[in-house]
Amino acid sequence: MNSVCKSIVVSTIIIFAGLAATGEEYNSSDAVLRHEIKQLKDLILGIQEESVRDTERLQQEIETLRNGYESQISELNQKITRIEAGKSSTGESVGIAKTSRKIRDNSFNPSIGVILNGTFSDYSEKDSEMFGFGIGEEGERGREGLAIDESEINFSANIDDKFYGSVTAAIVREEGSDIVELEEAYIQTLPDFGLPGGFTLKAGRAFWTLGYLNEHHTHGDDFADRPLPYRAYLNKSFNDDGIEVSYVLPTGFYTEIGGGAFRGEDFPVGDPTGSSPQSYSAFFRVGGDLGDNHSWRLGGYWLGANANERGSNEDTVTFSGESDLYGADFKYIWAPTGNANESEVILQTEYFQRDEDGVYDDTNVGTGPVAFDDSTSGWYAQSVYKFHPQWRVGIRYSELQSADTPVGLVGSALDAAGYDPHSLSVMIDWTNSEFSRLRLQYSHDELSRGGEDDQLILQYIVSLGAHGAHKF
Amino acid sequence: MRYLLLFTAGFFVLCPRAVYAKVRVFACEPEWAALAEEIGGDQVSVFTATSARQDPHYIRAKPSLIAQIRKSDLVIGSGASLEVGWLPVLLRKAGNSRITPGNTGFFMTSEILPLLEKTGASDRSHGDVHPDGNPHVHLDPSNISLVADELVERFVLIDSENQAYFRNRHADFSRRWSAAKARWNDLVGSLRNKKVVVHHASFSYLENWLGLSRIATLEPKPGLPPTTTHLEYLLTILRKHPAAVILRTPYNPDKGSVWLSAKTGIPALELPYTVGGNEHCQDLFSLFDHTLELLQGMTDVK
Repeated sequence: MNSVCKSIVVSTIIIFAGLAATGEEYNSSDAVLRHEIKQLKDLILGIQEESVRDTERLQQEIETLRNGYESQISELNQKITRIEAGKSSTGESVGIAKTSRKIRDNSFNPSIGVILNGTFSDYSEKDSEMFGFGIGEEGERGREGLAIDESEINFSANIDDKFYGSVTAAIVREEGSDIVELEEAYIQTLPDFGLPGGFTLKAGRAFWTLGYLNEHHTHGDDFADRPLPYRAYLNKSFNDDGIEVSYVLPTGFYTEIGGGAFRGEDFPVGDPTGSSPQSYSAFFRVGGDLGDNHSWRLGGYWLGANANERGSNEDTVTFSGESDLYGADFKYIWAPTGNANESEVILQTEYFQRDEDGVYDDTNVGTGPVAFDDSTSGWYAQSVYKFHPQWRVGIRYSELQSADTPVGLVGSALDAAGYDPHSLSVMIDWTNSEFSRLRLQYSHDELSRGGEDDQLILQYIVSLGAHGAHKF
Repeated sequence: MRYLLLFTAGFFVLCPRAVYAKVRVFACEPEWAALAEEIGGDQVSVFTATSARQDPHYIRAKPSLIAQIRKSDLVIGSGASLEVGWLPVLLRKAGNSRITPGNTGFFMTSEILPLLEKTGASDRSHGDVHPDGNPHVHLDPSNISLVADELVERFVLIDSENQAYFRNRHADFSRRWSAAKARWNDLVGSLRNKKVVVHHASFSYLENWLGLSRIATLEPKPGLPPTTTHLEYLLTILRKHPAAVILRTPYNPDKGSVWLSAKTGIPALELPYTVGGNEHCQDLFSLFDHTLELLQGMTDVK
């Protein structure tokens, strides 16, 4: 810029000089003119020299800058090389202690996971009643219209070398207010605790090992609601306070056995009395692969409960007595070359039978205590097909088999009148990433005689934070 | 009841004997299984949890894997949250103190290697990112050497009786590997600065070693399948700045790369990615041999 300005100045001076020379031709002497021209020439030359010097100085400055940068860059390069060399030398040395061994997101703070979950539901029937089983509050149909479902917050981490801990709190809407429900709060032994190999002990509150779905949080389910047996027998899920031990056998074939003892406060138990556990469980599981494409798991379960005043149907119905729940589950996954990321078919089925020997009382109808000694059963089967990495479709049928109604309970909430509730659902869901899913579900429920309920549910489920587990 | 107790007691006393006959290795990916076999030879028995046709990130904690990890003496995997969805579940279920993180029997190879593409703190609008760095570490022969050096130490710590055997095998492997590395390095000059498009960032260490220059990925964000919009966008880019080849692994679907190849005339190539990735790649040597062969064949045509 500088030199351009100077050129303009120089040219202007030359032009003016020329004009001056011609204009003063007549009234000035040659000597004066020549002197002035010489002065002008000197001036011009001076300016030109200055501009040349300026340019040279500029070039020098640029050179100095460039040299500076180049030396800085090479210095940085050397530093990088040194750092990398340092790293690989740590890598090559044998030092187990030197490595960081991090497999979770944050090494000391617990993993934090948040689940957000919302639905829009439209039901054709105003009420959804199911007779003959005594349904707990969470086993009932979800809220109609726009609603958020359970919003969950989970913290989990290895506590030290011997224990793992996890807590999950769900914020739910119940009777017009948002309440916090402690779904899980447990500790679990790590192998360094010192139990014989394959043993794990879990204590606190947890979704205990019982069937397939019970262990899992509802946001991981393949359908927007739980199938009928879970709604009737487990009030959606069994997560009493208690303790459970499990043992994985050292066999080539996966075999696990275990059992637990529970406080007896959660459905299907009731109000505990005294210090001894009111409920016990036992289970076994086997499973394996067939070639690369197929994997399966089969399990058998028992949950025995000494129920005391187990409340259901908004606490108008109570049951006291022995309640034994027997279950079986089977899960089979087919994925071409075992690559479930691209496509897979999941078949899942569970069967439950509940034997009850005790006393039912429906205060709404005023039946008074009526002896009940019978069994009911329920099952569901579902299949989900992933036909695109992000798209899945599924179908589910579930059914309950009611018991004969004792004379004293005729006309009460426990009178199924020989009717077996059943429900058929279809769904399609879109999984954008491992962390978000949208689902559309249609269900046709026939839970009581003549009560046909068409349900449309639109749902979103997202998870923030910790990377979820790829459960089987 | 008494017989049952006796049986159970006998079970615990006798079983560990049988288990310790050989070092049982649970390899999360086939490349580490192959390396464990190179160094462990007859003294190890190796179970491979995944195959070359499975995306090692999207594995379920299957019953068969629980049974295997329950019995293993060493777990070797890539780490850097590649197995985050399933390995922690297996470890918690198995109740096996030999392989808990921090013990000799737990070896995540990324922990001893210089990692590429460390994103540091990030959020998931960038896709399923691995903040610790890219976990697909094995396609650089120098990384294999580093892992081999550490693996032999682990074997020696687990089974010191066979120390000489493991060290001999390791020395032999290192000799052959160095020779192969020298051979490969002579071959690969022609690949330097070739432009490549990849399905997912599965080949970053190969690119880094060979000096390939990655200009795009088919996935719009890590972990998200290719979308039509993104492929159209890549098409306009590649028409202006053509690449030499479009790369994918055996577990990536071929649709995106085949479509883009047909539109641009740039060849699409399925690299074996790991041992067993195609019929030619039965060990680590043939994996690298064949990978380079494929790449050279493809880029020479251009």
